[in-house]
Formats: sequence, structure tokens, C-alpha cells
Amino acid sequence: MFAVVLNALLTVAAGIFVAVGMYWVLNKVAELLPGNVEHRLKPYLYILPAYLAIIVYLIYPTILTVVYSFKDRFSREYVGFQNYSELFSAPGFGSTIINTFLWMLVVPVFSVIFGLLIATLADRLGPFGEKFTKTLIFLPMAISMVGASVVWSYIYTYRAEESGQAQIGMFNAILVNLGASPIAWFNEESFRLNSFMLMVIMLWAQVGFSMVLLSAAVKGVPGDTLEAARIDGATEVQIFFKVIIPQIKGTIITVLITVTIGVMKIFDIVYATTGGQFNTNVIGNEFFSQFTTNFHSGKAAAIVVMLMIAVIPIMIYQVRHFKAEEANA
Amino acid sequence: MRANMRGRKTVMAGAAMALASVGLAACGGGGGGDADADSKEVTVWTSMDTAVVDGLKSKTVAVAEEAGITLKWERVDDINKVLLPAIQSGSAPEIAIVPQPGVVKTIVDTGEARSLDGVMDAANTDSLLPGLLDAGKVDGTQYAQVVSMNVKSLVFYNKLAWADAGYPTPTSLDELDALVAQIKADGGTPWCIGIESGGATGWPATDWFEDLIMRVGSPEEYTQWVNHEIPFDSPVVREAAAKFEEYMFTPGNVPGGRKAIPSTAFGDAGKPMFNADGPGCWMLKQGSFIVSPDFLGEAANDADTNVGVFGFPPATAGGENPVLGGGDLAVLLSDSDAAKDVMNIIGAADAGVEAAPSSSFLSPHSGFDASLYASETARSFAEVANNASVILFDGSDAMPGEVGAGTFWSQITAWVSDSQDLDTTLKNIDESWPTS
Repeated sequence: MFAVVLNALLTVAAGIFVAVGMYWVLNKVAELLPGNVEHRLKPYLYILPAYLAIIVYLIYPTILTVVYSFKDRFSREYVGFQNYSELFSAPGFGSTIINTFLWMLVVPVFSVIFGLLIATLADRLGPFGEKFTKTLIFLPMAISMVGASVVWSYIYTYRAEESGQAQIGMFNAILVNLGASPIAWFNEESFRLNSFMLMVIMLWAQVGFSMVLLSAAVKGVPGDTLEAARIDGATEVQIFFKVIIPQIKGTIITVLITVTIGVMKIFDIVYATTGGQFNTNVIGNEFFSQFTTNFHSGKAAAIVVMLMIAVIPIMIYQVRHFKAEEANA
Repeated sequence: MRANMRGRKTVMAGAAMALASVGLAACGGGGGGDADADSKEVTVWTSMDTAVVDGLKSKTVAVAEEAGITLKWERVDDINKVLLPAIQSGSAPEIAIVPQPGVVKTIVDTGEARSLDGVMDAANTDSLLPGLLDAGKVDGTQYAQVVSMNVKSLVFYNKLAWADAGYPTPTSLDELDALVAQIKADGGTPWCIGIESGGATGWPATDWFEDLIMRVGSPEEYTQWVNHEIPFDSPVVREAAAKFEEYMFTPGNVPGGRKAIPSTAFGDAGKPMFNADGPGCWMLKQGSFIVSPDFLGEAANDADTNVGVFGFPPATAGGENPVLGGGDLAVLLSDSDAAKDVMNIIGAADAGVEAAPSSSFLSPHSGFDASLYASETARSFAEVANNASVILFDGSDAMPGEVGAGTFWSQITAWVSDSQDLDTTLKNIDESWPTS
């Protein structure tokens, strides 16, 4: 154990030493050059390692993933589009895609709605009430998605009425005490109720994030605009929709995009609850089972490529939006 | 001022690079697997329970030491997931103990598994219970040695309530059918079953299928089915499905009926047997691992008094008696002589003498001293295995992951949930069988 710790410390020390040394050498090399060349070249020398790191850790793996998506399960021989065609013809893959889209539609929108609602309402509380409420809502953010899933599994737990066992799930305990029959929440496929039940977990864990950002934005709305609206006789609802919302639009879009990208990669909640069964599968979980259960690197890579292609438009929109915001500021 | 700025930037950039190099170092680390042939160090990876590993360790490390070999046991979580990347990156151990024949096959496909022909002493392979040697074969070549075993063809019941009701132990499927009818006539619910298991939901139902296929069919048909020489859409599988349907879907046979099966956790299924006001269901077919307070409640704290068990009966009394089992298979990943010696040390019948009294370990060897087991219940498991005409490995474990840990679970679950019919179910599983 001691050896391991020592080894780690030495590695860190050596890493820092080498890195500093490298920059020192690059700096010296640059200084040998004539003045104006030195000044023009230096920034590139400093950015070079970062570019190298991006190429090695980001671009190279990306290219490799695309290549592997056209190879067989052990990434040995090229198989053309076979991985893609097999994925699309597999039973359940269509449903997996529909579920992923549902997640992308529902979760970002509702986390903005709830986040905004809580931010606006908490804004009207006293200082203690506001802090207390926000802390409470933000708390689940500190729990991992798997942790959140386990917590909610207990809330959703179902036991057959006839087994004579007590309902330990909160929802079913409530239902039974009200005289209704317990519901197997994770298995209720009609209207994809079970998928929505899983989204609730994500919302519970995520609303704190959008609340914090939106709350800051709401507080940033200049008081004189609100006052002007009030003097003009606007109702509170009108103020909210016609004065506050337009002024925090930028933040809303940022939250929407961040949550959407997070949701596209959603895996842990589905894996820890239903494992993608009962029609709740999503792309992230399908990747995991292709990679670790089926040992099929090809299909796993193909899924990643599809996900990558789907993310690109959102990224482009985000970058444009970001630039527009900067231009406005 | 300018120089100062420059200095600060250098430090920050340096720190960033340092972080990157730590990442690099972490990737570069890790044990070296393919040590030279003369190495006297052997590492074994396993995901067996800590108590089992401790028991095996204390015996085998001592034996290895006498032979001048340094044997290291490393318990890893979920070896199925960590081993393959380790093999591909060249950091695999000399020996890996995996829980499924399907994984053995995948290792063989990578070309890193060494054939055990000429490696294992005859004494260590001859003493294996019937069927267990075959479990370590891939395409006819021996690649794995079973080092520990579990039994799945077991039916558990509430011992005290059972004795009160005076129910007999069935010795054939017909007698089992009669018993089911008798329990129902007495106003009881005969079967406990739950197949919910998170991402693995469905596996208890596939165990049922396997047990039924080897009985309504034959051990030979079972093996052919596992190898997909008999498809899912075949008379023998349909016959097994019909039997499952008869036991589980008949109203009043399971608590909550068919709809409750996929949403009842496998770990909760047996608990109603020990309800305070009498069994909510009477019989649970499950593997030997289920005897734990986690799964059976307080009753399991004194299992010898409360929990009764009999082997899932054969089709006909006294006839072919196949038993569904599982186990942990040791695979050799090195050419070193020391590693070959260790294969014989951990594959020997007496490797388990210290694990048996202190854990859930069951020896795969015939003639293993049953008095070493910690409880009467464990001895009953060993007896069921020893009475078997052949022990057949869990078929879903031996099938390709796409099927065995994928569609077989999920499609059967969809069928049990009544969201698709049997024809679609069997067709879907057959189509998911990988071609390459």
C-alpha cells in the first residue's frame, strides 16, 4: 500500500518536473530566435502540448471509433455497414430510439419548467426560506445517478398483493392504504409509463442544476424593468412571461442544451432500474450491453457514431448561440 | 511586470501538463500478465465471494509455497467485464476464474487461453462430478477446470409448515404435478416465483426453462439446444414452455398471478413461504445461493430448522436425473510451468477443504468429505449434485452474451409479462443468435 502511494506521488512529481522542464526548454528555444519571430512563435509553442493532448485523447479515439464501427466484434475485419444494418433490424432497437427521443424531449423541458418555477417562487420567500428551499432542491445533485436510482427503486418497489408481504415501496404503500391495488411501476409499458417514471428520477436529480442557473438569471433581471411594467399596470403573470422570460432567454437555452446533451448520454438510471427491459431501453444502455455483455466492439462503436452524429447539430447550435450571446454582451 | 506574468503562465501551463501526465501514468501502470515461462509468481483473478476466496486462498497458497510458487489471489469485481480489456491490453493474470462457460469461449476466441490437455493431472479431472469436465470444453478441447460449484435444480420449502401439512417429497414430474394439485386443493398457492432482477430481469425464468428442457427432453437435447443445434422454436422448447405455463400461469398457482411474476424481485419471491400466518406460497425453485436472510428473511438464520430442500425431480423416478448447476471455471492464460502447477493446485479435490466449513463453497469433486460443510442444508445441496446422472451447466451462461444475457432474459420476460406471444418470443431469440 505504501509502495503504491509512494509510486503515485513520485509519478505526479515526475510529471510536474517533466512538464515544467519541457515548457522551460521550449521557452529557451524561442528566446534564441530573433525578437519579432520569438513573439510570433511563442504562443504556438505554448499551445502545442494542448493541441497534442486533444489529438491523442480526443481526435484519434474518435477516428478509431468510426473505423471500428465498420469492423467485426473483435475489431479485426471490415464488415461494411453490417453493424448498422443489424442494429436497425434488431427487435427493440426502434423502441430504444423512440425512448431516447422521449427522454430528450421531456427531461430538458421539464427541468427548465420546474427549475424556473422554483427559482421564481423561492425568490419571493424571505432570505432563510429561500436558502432552505434551494438547498433542499439542490441536495439530490450531490447524489450519483445510480444512488438516485436506488433511492427511487425503493419508492417504486412493488410486491404482489396476494403474497401477503407488506408494501415497502412508498407509492404502493400509499396506494394500498387508500384502498387501491399496488402498481408495478417499472413494468407498466402502456403509454410508456415506466419510461416516464424513470425520467422522474432524472428530473429529481437534475432540477437543482437548472434552478441554480435560472435563479441567478432571474435575480439578474433589472428591478426597474419590473417596476416599469407594474406602473404600466401589468399583472404578475404578464410580468413573468413578457418581462422576465425574454430577459433570461439566453440562460434558458443554455440549460436546455446542457440537459439535452446530458440526457442523450443517459445510461445509469436505466441500467440501475430496469436494465432496459420492459421497453425502457435507451441508446446509452444499448451501447453498454453491446460492449460488455455481447462483447461486440463493432456494434458498440456504431452506436457511439450514431450518438455523435446526433449530438453535432446541437453542438453547432450551442456554439452559435454562445457566439451570439457574446456579441450581444 | 511582464516577466512576472510570463512566469505565472508557465507555472499554470506546467500544472496542466502535469495533470495530463498523471493520466498517462495511470494508463501505463498495471500488472504484467505474460511473465516469462520461468516466473515463480502466479496471479489468480476471481470474482467469487470473499469468504470463498479466503477459504481457497488459505489452503492453496500454502500448497503452492511448498512447491516454491508465490500464489497471489486477487478478488476483482465483475471479472466478466474487466478480464477481456485486460487480455487485450496485455495485463491479464496467469489464471482467471470466470463464472460462465460463455466467457471461457470468448477468452478462447481471443487466442489467449491455453489448452489444458496435458496440463491437468488425471486425478484432478477424474474426480469431477459427471458433466463438469465437459463444461470446461470449447469445441471439444479442454480449456477450463471447474473449481467450485453451485446447484440450481433445487426446490425450497418451509420445513415446519411442510411437516405439518404432511406433504411428500416428489420423485418424478408426475408426483410434482400431483403435489401441486394437492397444495391447491388444501387452499394453498403452490409456487413462489419472481424474475425481477434489475438489468438481469428474466434469469430465474430461463433457469426454469433449462430445468424443464433437460427433463421433458433429454440431457443430449439440452446440450444441442445450448449450442443452438436445436433452435428455440422447436418442439422440446415448446414442451418446456407449456410445462412452465401450466405451473406458473394457471390462476391461483403463484401469488398475484402471471402479471406479478416479472415485477416480483427474485430475492423477495421466497419470503412469503415464511409469512407469520402460514406460507403465502409453498415451493421456490432456485439456486443454492438463495439460503440467506437477504432472500428468505429471518428463517434463513436457522436454515437447518426452517428451510427444507429437495432436488427438482427427474422426469421419471429412477430414470435419467440431470441437475442444473453452475460453477467457477479456471482458465490458464500463461505458458509458465508455475501457472500450470497452480492449475492443479486449485483444481485438486482438496483445494476446498478450508473453504467448505467457512463459506458457501461446494466442491465439484466426487468423494469430497461432506462432513466438512458448515450446515445440513449445504450437505443436501452436495447430495443433490452427487445423485445427479449428469450436471449440466446453466445454458444461458454458456450461450453467446447476446442471447444468454440478452434476448433469452428479455424475450422470456416479455412473454411472461403477456406483452408478446410465445411464437414471437422464440422467433426473436433465434434471430438474435449471432452469426459471426
